[in-house]
Amino acid sequence: MANRFCVSLTHAKDNQDKATVGFVVANAAAGSGKETLVFLSVEGVRLAQKGYADDIREEGFAPLRELMDNFAKAGGTIYVCSPCFKKRKLDENNLVAGAAIVGGAKLVEFLSEGSPCVSY
Amino acid sequence: MTSSTPTPRAADTHWDAGDLGCGDLVLELRLRMETMKPGQLLQLTARDPGARADIPAWCRMTGHTLIAEQHPVYQIRRKEN
Repeated sequence: MANRFCVSLTHAKDNQDKATVGFVVANAAAGSGKETLVFLSVEGVRLAQKGYADDIREEGFAPLRELMDNFAKAGGTIYVCSPCFKKRKLDENNLVAGAAIVGGAKLVEFLSEGSPCVSY
Repeated sequence: MTSSTPTPRAADTHWDAGDLGCGDLVLELRLRMETMKPGQLLQLTARDPGARADIPAWCRMTGHTLIAEQHPVYQIRRKEN
């Protein structure tokens, strides 16, 4: 059984349901002792900006900000797609805890070492 | 293997990748490394913020050696074969 888990997340406020569930699943993986990565790409990169997720609250779920804070506290890692981030002219000096801007090679390395990946 | 201390050795080849990043950067990097001889040193300048994580990861995966890194400058020794 792989000891790693990846959640690929492509949405932010364009689909708050998916953005929230992605972190719920990531927290389930982290809580199960997995080395967990959330890969943010496309619109999902907006979640890496401090303050952006503060007003995202889906019915039936904890607020996204709380989910993301808990993920970081559990040692989870967030990779932020570099070209997606640049395209949207976001601020690399205003990243949430646990986030790092990466290109494809870093993701390929993580997955190639053996990791399931679920996409939202 | 990586080091933040610049090597005194002069690079055999220089490549300024500018703002190239992600798949475009590593694919072009691969093609350039293939034109070099084993043991030769490439000095790469890559300004994309993702290069900080990607270049070390790419070297680990491909077997080339990252001799020095001080973003945006990286020195990479081509593997033996």
